[in-house]
Amino acid sequence: MSTSPVPASSHGNLDEQIAQLMQCKPLSEQEVRVLCDKAKEILMEESNVQPVKSPVTICGDIHGQFHDLAELFRIGGKCPDTNYLFMGDYVDRGYYSVETVTLLVALKVRYSQRITILRGNHESRQITQVYGFYDECLRKYGNANVWKIFTDLFDYFPLTALVESEIFCLHGGLSPSIETLDNIRNFDRVQEVPHEGPMCDLLWSDPDDRCGWGISPRGAGYTFGQDISEQFNNTNKLKLIARAHQLVMEGFNWGHDQKVVTIFSAPNYCYRCGNMASILEVDDCKGHTFIQFEPAPRRGEPDVTRRTPDYFL
Amino acid sequence: MPEHCPCPSAPSLNSSPATVATAAIPAPPESFCRSCGGPTSDAASISSPPPWSDSSPPPAYRPLRAPAINAPTNTNAIILSPVPRPLPVPVAEPPYHFEVPMKRISSPDDIQRFNSSSSGRHFLGFVAALSDSARSRKISDPISPLTPIISHLLSVMETLDKWIDEIPPLPHSSRYGNPAYRSWHEKLSDKGISLVVPLLTSDELGPAADELLPYLLDSFGNPSRIDYGTGHETNFVAFLFCLARLGLVKEEDYTALVTRLFVAYLRLMRRLQTEYCLEPAGSHGVWGLDDYHFIPFIFGSAQLIDHKYMKPKSIHNPDILDNFSTEYMYLTCVAFVKKVKKGVFAEHSPMLDDISGVATWNKVNSGLLKMYKAEVLEKVPIMQHFLFGSLIKWYDSQIF
Repeated sequence: MSTSPVPASSHGNLDEQIAQLMQCKPLSEQEVRVLCDKAKEILMEESNVQPVKSPVTICGDIHGQFHDLAELFRIGGKCPDTNYLFMGDYVDRGYYSVETVTLLVALKVRYSQRITILRGNHESRQITQVYGFYDECLRKYGNANVWKIFTDLFDYFPLTALVESEIFCLHGGLSPSIETLDNIRNFDRVQEVPHEGPMCDLLWSDPDDRCGWGISPRGAGYTFGQDISEQFNNTNKLKLIARAHQLVMEGFNWGHDQKVVTIFSAPNYCYRCGNMASILEVDDCKGHTFIQFEPAPRRGEPDVTRRTPDYFL
Repeated sequence: MPEHCPCPSAPSLNSSPATVATAAIPAPPESFCRSCGGPTSDAASISSPPPWSDSSPPPAYRPLRAPAINAPTNTNAIILSPVPRPLPVPVAEPPYHFEVPMKRISSPDDIQRFNSSSSGRHFLGFVAALSDSARSRKISDPISPLTPIISHLLSVMETLDKWIDEIPPLPHSSRYGNPAYRSWHEKLSDKGISLVVPLLTSDELGPAADELLPYLLDSFGNPSRIDYGTGHETNFVAFLFCLARLGLVKEEDYTALVTRLFVAYLRLMRRLQTEYCLEPAGSHGVWGLDDYHFIPFIFGSAQLIDHKYMKPKSIHNPDILDNFSTEYMYLTCVAFVKKVKKGVFAEHSPMLDDISGVATWNKVNSGLLKMYKAEVLEKVPIMQHFLFGSLIKWYDSQIF
């Protein structure tokens, strides 16, 4: 198995960039541009239902909490020693969305067979303009170019993954327009996340205690009951739907009689929620182990400078 | 600035103050399709091309709907955009045609339509007028006697607060939000009409209850998601706006609305947020002012305008926060953030930290009003839940 389509000669540069990113130092705009061009080539070859082999460690929302992502790698093992599957929402809300998403994309380019990065509902132009990634790019680069480069790349991220043909992984949940995995394989994902329809639902829906389909209070996607999950798993011969998208206090939460699990990997979300984070290790024998973790202990002061927001100039 | 993007869903754009301002300044190339984010043909005609157009060409695909609101850099447009000014609320005249309000906004076009309509301008003008009424006033400053309407609204806040005592949080460990909040909200839904009816003193205003109630029910968070955000806060202000439209609150009542009622509302909301762990699902995280609120920062900065010694940078002084956070809503909010968030202030609250570097409270206040318009009233994900009826009217065609 090749670990990367990138010629060996360029690994040195990329390895240096990964080392720099691991210290929470962002790349230059030009480096981001080159990196994202390479990532696009890799991601466009991936399926809407990207097959993934075990062992693999499945992770939920990160939301720019870079130091907690670094903690995740300390606890779960470094990439590529551990294989990873991230289920989206790398950006927005946290202070380090730029560093977080750049690192994950760099790891994808360097070890394309060892890490899978799915799209979350926050990997979108519209949402990142509301919830922080756009503002962060402006602040860190002085212009929106890096935001543009990344949001263009997000269009290529796969929507779902399938671990060993039995764990279906995605950011949000099911869609009334989708009965089979083949339905998902067949649509053109390379676009901004639409406001409605199957692609939107996969990134926005939530499991619910009530049966059947419900209107989502989020204003996008649906809620789906245990009957829907059971039907979908039966039809597609799945054991489990692993998804993220919702804050859960223990970092993971079983639902629908263990047909669905929610995984959330941003501890003490927004610096205040007091929740644990978790990751799900699926071993060679397809056994499941959840590993919980708390916010990373922090050393030293962050590198922040004051900048008057445009509204106050 | 006209847009000529080949994208099939490219909307026609009215000349808003923001776009006019941009057009007057040649430098930044800002013609981006609001639908696909790609450069429009205008961009090609500008002497300096967009910085990324050479090595990052626009995608060849045609996104279905990809609204990119005010993207990308629009510093000049923001600086030159007018500060929202107080506007008198037009009082609705009989005969009334009250209706159950409904959601109308689902696209950037709709947002544009709302904000340029009479409803949108007067709503923002109302927020600015409330802010103005709190100028240079402490919370404890004496005010003229409360009207029966405001007294009743204060008693509603007390009632809602008592319900929290009656409905304690349940032991739970899965989602963040506590499911007991659903019982609290159910009680609000059950008793809501009895809270609204006493406001409507005349027979002809009686039917307004059906129009007012949904605004009140949406003012304290969403029971299904167990969350709260600036959209709910905006609905509360919309509820007050409707009362002003009915002539039930007048301009001379605005100071009391801010320093009595809104203070009580904020206190109630903080208690709901902490007791029931309402999820900050609408939060901008570190890139917002606060996980839940915006308006008290506007009103609170107005309170501090021309203060003798407290400056925007005074938020870093713990003694000032200790001594004055009961008197000034801005400080109340900063103290709350410092209490609940762990870590370095400049990292978990960079916006508040940045604003502390602004020279005067007047500038903070005008900046926050501009920011509220752009970051709340012009954002589809927030305003898609906003309600329209006969008092806050939705205009299908452009009426100015």
